[in-house]
Amino acid sequence: MPDRFLRRILAFFLLISVILIAVAVNAVRNISRTVATSDWVNHTHEAILEGQALHASLHMGDAALRTYLLIGEARDQAAAREAFAEMLEHLEVLRALLKDDAAASPEIAELAKLTTVRSEFATSLMQRRGAPGETPASLVAADIASGSTAEITRRLDRIKSQQMTLLAERDTASYLQAQTTRWTVWAGVILDFLLLAGVAWLIKDDLEARRRVVKTLESANRDLDAKVRERTAELVASNDQLSIENLERRWANQALEHQHRYDELIINSINDLVLVLTKVLNISRLNPAVFERTGFSASELINKPLASLVELAEDPGASRVAHALRTGHELRATGRVQCKSGGARPVKVAVYPLRDGDKVVGGVVTLELLTDDRNRTTGTTAP
Amino acid sequence: MNKHILLVDDEVTIRELLAQYLTRTGYRITAVGTAQEAEKVFASDPPALVITDLQLEESDGLVMIERMKAKLPNTPVILLTGVLFDPEVIESTISKKVSAYFQKTTPLAQIVKEIRRLIG
Repeated sequence: MPDRFLRRILAFFLLISVILIAVAVNAVRNISRTVATSDWVNHTHEAILEGQALHASLHMGDAALRTYLLIGEARDQAAAREAFAEMLEHLEVLRALLKDDAAASPEIAELAKLTTVRSEFATSLMQRRGAPGETPASLVAADIASGSTAEITRRLDRIKSQQMTLLAERDTASYLQAQTTRWTVWAGVILDFLLLAGVAWLIKDDLEARRRVVKTLESANRDLDAKVRERTAELVASNDQLSIENLERRWANQALEHQHRYDELIINSINDLVLVLTKVLNISRLNPAVFERTGFSASELINKPLASLVELAEDPGASRVAHALRTGHELRATGRVQCKSGGARPVKVAVYPLRDGDKVVGGVVTLELLTDDRNRTTGTTAP
Repeated sequence: MNKHILLVDDEVTIRELLAQYLTRTGYRITAVGTAQEAEKVFASDPPALVITDLQLEESDGLVMIERMKAKLPNTPVILLTGVLFDPEVIESTISKKVSAYFQKTTPLAQIVKEIRRLIG
């Protein structure tokens, strides 16, 4: 988003710069044109003034010539010559000023002819004064009759009119140019203003978008924090629960172990011989008293038939024991227990069916020695 | 302030487990292994409740309870033991001396429930 935004802003400023440059170039060019127009106007005014000066010199010359022709004063003659000379000088200046004006060239050429003729005719009139047959009145009348002054005046008026027309055209063009410049500058200013407004709007929009993003992020962070806190609390609670469950399990295990140990302690503390039988009358477990009284260790008796250790009276195959376990009844009898040393000792035998629920899974046999030697041991130590 | 429970058992594992659990549930526990130690604590920092085993080294839990009851007769006592009693024995003998009787196979949560009932 920032890159896109920056690109837009740069594009706007580039456009603003292009417009500013275009307006500046246009304005500078128009200023140059205005300067050129001003020079031309001055030049044209100079030409008009020069025409008017030529016209004035012509009239001064005419006045001095006619005065001379009437009075004959040399001073007037000199004034006439000087005026006509000035007229010709003005003509040369005017020609130089209008040399690039194609429309004025024929008029200037005609004017040059007329002024030359006028000057020469004036010179001839001055020479003719005092000549025989010439009177001042006739000479003035001849001068008036020549009509060259009127023709020169018309030509000068025409040239002036042409220049005034050109001035008016230039003035209109200049006005239009100034208007164009004004419109160009104002259009550029307005366009730049609009573009700047657009940039301002873009910046404002971007700032608002950023504020929205910041708010969204803050909200998301708050939600995340809340979720983290909630999850942490859940984990802590779960951990506590697991710890408690762990303690419960350890407690249950130790309780079972304790109970088992306690049961073992009770059985092992019994002085009578205790044997546990499988259903096929093999010995599966015995208490320490068996070893102490017979000398047989557990490894020598486990998985051996009961008959290898105990012989019931009148039942060497222990069929009564088997019957008792099959039927689930207790059996009490007498018999003899074998000792490892070779002898056998009389015992009272009790057989108890070992029940697991409603099934008999084996039996427990207790042997109580009938001889008075309960405290006598075989002289061996427990394994 | 957390309520004080005096725990008497000669088995270290049982003492530690029970003390750990009861501490987590918000009680202050003093765990000892003999009746002599228990009676010292009972005198110096009287507990709100006593939990004791029956068979202690060099003593008997019930005898110790009688001595404690002589000093603070209103202190509730829970007997926690591996010895299994018949319901008849519990009713006739044990229940007169203790506030509650639990086997050591009883879940801890159930023991705590009874403690809460007795002392809150």
